[in-house]
Amino acid sequence: MSHSPLLQLEHFTFSFEEDEKPVINDLSFQINEGESVLLMGASGSGKSTLALCLNGLYPEAVEGISSGDLYFRGININEFKKGELNQQIGIVFQDPESQFCMIKVEDELAFTLENLSIPRKEMVEKIDHVLDLIGMKPYKQSKIHELSGGQKQKIALAAVLLMEPKLLILDEPTANLDPVSSLEFIELIGELQAKSSMSIVVIEHQADDWVTLIDRVLVLDQEGQLTLDGNPSDVFQTHAEQFKQEGLFLPQDFSGHQSPKQQPSPIASTHPCMTINHLSFTRKNKTILDELTFKIYPGKLMAIVGQNGAGKSTLLQLMARLLKPKHGSITFEGLPLHEWNEPKLRQRTGFVFQNPEHQFITDTVYDEIAFGLRLNNESEEKVKTVVQQLLNTFHLSEQQWRNPFSLSGGQKRRLSVATMLDETPDLLLFDEPTFGQDAYTTQELMNMIMNLKQKGTAIVFVTHDINLVDQYADRVMVLNEGKIAHDGIPERLWQDEDLLKEARLRKPYRLERNEVESIGLIH
Amino acid sequence: MVSSINPSVKMIAIVIPGLILSLAFDVMTPLIFFLYLLMVTVFFSGVNLKKWLMFFIPLSVFALMLAWTSMIHTDEKYAGGDILVDFWWIEITTGSLQVGISLALRSMCFIALTLLFALTTDPTKLMLSMMQQLKLPPKLTYGILAGYRFLPLFKHELDLLRQAHQIRGVSRTKGIKGRIQRFKRYLIPLLANAIRKSERVANAMESKGFTGSRERTHYHDIQVQKRDWMFLASMVSALVLAFYLSYTFGYLNIFGKTF
Repeated sequence: MSHSPLLQLEHFTFSFEEDEKPVINDLSFQINEGESVLLMGASGSGKSTLALCLNGLYPEAVEGISSGDLYFRGININEFKKGELNQQIGIVFQDPESQFCMIKVEDELAFTLENLSIPRKEMVEKIDHVLDLIGMKPYKQSKIHELSGGQKQKIALAAVLLMEPKLLILDEPTANLDPVSSLEFIELIGELQAKSSMSIVVIEHQADDWVTLIDRVLVLDQEGQLTLDGNPSDVFQTHAEQFKQEGLFLPQDFSGHQSPKQQPSPIASTHPCMTINHLSFTRKNKTILDELTFKIYPGKLMAIVGQNGAGKSTLLQLMARLLKPKHGSITFEGLPLHEWNEPKLRQRTGFVFQNPEHQFITDTVYDEIAFGLRLNNESEEKVKTVVQQLLNTFHLSEQQWRNPFSLSGGQKRRLSVATMLDETPDLLLFDEPTFGQDAYTTQELMNMIMNLKQKGTAIVFVTHDINLVDQYADRVMVLNEGKIAHDGIPERLWQDEDLLKEARLRKPYRLERNEVESIGLIH
Repeated sequence: MVSSINPSVKMIAIVIPGLILSLAFDVMTPLIFFLYLLMVTVFFSGVNLKKWLMFFIPLSVFALMLAWTSMIHTDEKYAGGDILVDFWWIEITTGSLQVGISLALRSMCFIALTLLFALTTDPTKLMLSMMQQLKLPPKLTYGILAGYRFLPLFKHELDLLRQAHQIRGVSRTKGIKGRIQRFKRYLIPLLANAIRKSERVANAMESKGFTGSRERTHYHDIQVQKRDWMFLASMVSALVLAFYLSYTFGYLNIFGKTF
């Protein structure tokens, strides 16, 4: 590996507005040719902004303000023409839905080549070659919107690789992917790394799967300043305490302790809160759910896992009476679900959506929490006490007069849960609430959920995060092709290798690591 | 096949008859042209007729209703001739009957023209052709293409919003005022997300070297060939023929003036 600097920052500072506090604050570091760097930092520490600054898109695209210098191979980036630096530094972004402008895979890849004014004759060969490289050749003629999230991210990667960049930036590329797709993507990056001399910068909250691929870790703090810079063992071991203070989670290889099993809740009721009997659902003559039968008990957390399209969200929507079953019945607290009166049902059940913004309906945080209480004609006095209490519990008191849309990601997530809790519900449903969230927010959310569980609320949780299931779930249900493929304690599922493979699930990290250790591959 | 005609030329070949036809107030001209359009649709478009009818029938019903209204409310200027029906408040003369039928036929021509274009044109090719032949700036064409991808996502998001608001009990607020407020509540998150998504797409596109400059190569080289001109010529000749026949039979009426 050569050690000449590829990219060099000198006192680089960036802010969106003149009088705002800088998002990136006096950064000086360099990235060398062929180096693989992991860039970490809590939400809001300016990681994604930095990525866009590095390839020259910011400050121009947002009319932001920057100072200090940025050099690419010794040349100040201001000396590059528009679009020139972008070709040297490619970025794969987080959201698989919003990186494309064409309908077909082939056309999207061609879009990159057209931008570079590559002659048409050479295009076909280049497109075929890159598709071969990422193992997506059969999908050349496919429509992008019909691909899975993991496949979309591979196409996004291919489009960037066509530029033959010197530096590849991956901005949380696997945050929205299911566990197996995520691992496949990371393995693909590993293969590419072995074949080329490209430098790589990975921006990521969860470092676990990346640790083996990287030479160096950079950590940004809340002020947008660099606080740690060193090789993985240096940052994750020697400076572990400082690292944790940034609200970041150590890779499990370094954190040492195994995730403790949560205490079972004190309420061990045998009386089910919801009973689901031979439930089926079809959409456009396609069977989504097929004859599901199970019960849900108070004070228990049930996780529902399975690959995309297995019917997890549909099942949750049926349980919340947002959809009507085609066959079968659902009984909630002794009464058939369809006989419940709407206000009563909404009071006693709650549903937390993947995107918290979808749930916001008023202009201030205070009104948001008060909304349900006011609908139920509670006295203004009671509204006030309950709202204050919830604001305190969810650490939102300071933000109570702000618009919900102006909150940070973690605050939005907390508020979306708080709005469901004006009365302690009997049943709370969560549809992938940790999707694309950082580790700190996830931890916070899980603590709140555990509190509710202790109070006897039945929790049903759709997720892709196997480690969460391992750590918190009393029971896990695997949906596969519309049927229940497993329903029982998580431990039993981890032993069923065939099912894990069929449903595209991974084992929790603590077990995967034990296996690797036992066959002596690491340490 | 109409689907292989260059989209830009096709668009011109559709717009010209559409504009000129709107001047013909008689019955014969749109009738002849409509028969011609039917022939093209059935024999040369390759469009599934069942699908075509699924669009055509509901739109025609709307056109007929429009024609009916204009027939019973015809302007004095055109409503001459013998009284055919005089029932209660409805009075139909030969003049107003002619206006009604003509409007119905013209509307059906517009519908047939639109369908001939919409059902045989690939949106990607249309945009690429507008960029290559009509010299529309790449910024605009790729912007429209990127936006087009978002349409199904919007529908999905609206469904989610409805559900999320139902959970919160929003549907319980009643009255028109409640409804307006509900619409407002959908609008903000939809817009917020649309802006965020479009910013992300713009970043992704620029990161792939897109500058909006016209100096770019084209993977799909969309050309104008002889058959495209022939299609345009055939559409225009059919239109001229329709006017000519109508003139020789003494029906032609442009803006209420007979020739």
